[in-house]
Amino acid sequence: MQRAIERRGIPTVSVTVARDVTERAKPPRALFVPFMMGHHFGVPFHRALQRRVLLAALERLELAERSGEIATLPVTWAEARRQGDAIERELGLKR
Amino acid sequence: MTDASETAKQLRPGLWETVNERYPGSMITKVDLVPLAPLRKPLSQTRLTFVSSAGVQPRDSLPFDVVHPVGDFTFRRVPSSSTPADLEIHQIKYPTGGAARDLNVIFPVDRLSELAADGTIGGLTPNFFSFIGYTIDPTGFERTLAEALADAVAAEGAEAVLLCPA
Repeated sequence: MQRAIERRGIPTVSVTVARDVTERAKPPRALFVPFMMGHHFGVPFHRALQRRVLLAALERLELAERSGEIATLPVTWAEARRQGDAIERELGLKR
Repeated sequence: MTDASETAKQLRPGLWETVNERYPGSMITKVDLVPLAPLRKPLSQTRLTFVSSAGVQPRDSLPFDVVHPVGDFTFRRVPSSSTPADLEIHQIKYPTGGAARDLNVIFPVDRLSELAADGTIGGLTPNFFSFIGYTIDPTGFERTLAEALADAVAAEGAEAVLLCPA
């Protein structure tokens, strides 16, 4: 899909949680985030993290030098969940 | 950047080959690279679209066929002005625990609107694009859905594309 779009002259970047699949599918640009499937942009209500993933992905459109490069977001799933829990407690969604 | 130990953590060693033996051609492996298309303007002037394989769709649209034996090769347009309340998920291949509470973890409509509103990006296309990624026939998928969706993305006036393979 991504390769078909890039072939039309439109720059593309994907956010992946499966580095091995991405290595095989070889999209032009990708950002790997070490998060759980279905949680590519982080955890619920963690707006700053969701925005950070988006910005890190969009940055690849400007910075990627070679097709097939996979950048990594230096965050762990454990950190993301811990921060998300704290935010949910602040919002009164979790005790 | 490609660390073997990190790769191993993502998928059980040998699983890829096993799946490919049972269902030949079902797992994509490419050898060639597609040349990079250049970003022609700064991001702050670039119109972005979003393409998702997470099965997120407007509440009143025909649900994706999540039990189709080959795969549902259709796509839906999702207005970029949608709010999470306008959307629902029809896909069963990934955990939706987070998305059920905040759709932005898999389909970040609110965050993308904010990036457009604060000028980080030049704007959003009127529609985003959505499909379900599962297929047992990736070659057929590439020849039909991938081409049709790429044409639709180009016709929508997208100048850059963010994809989220669920």
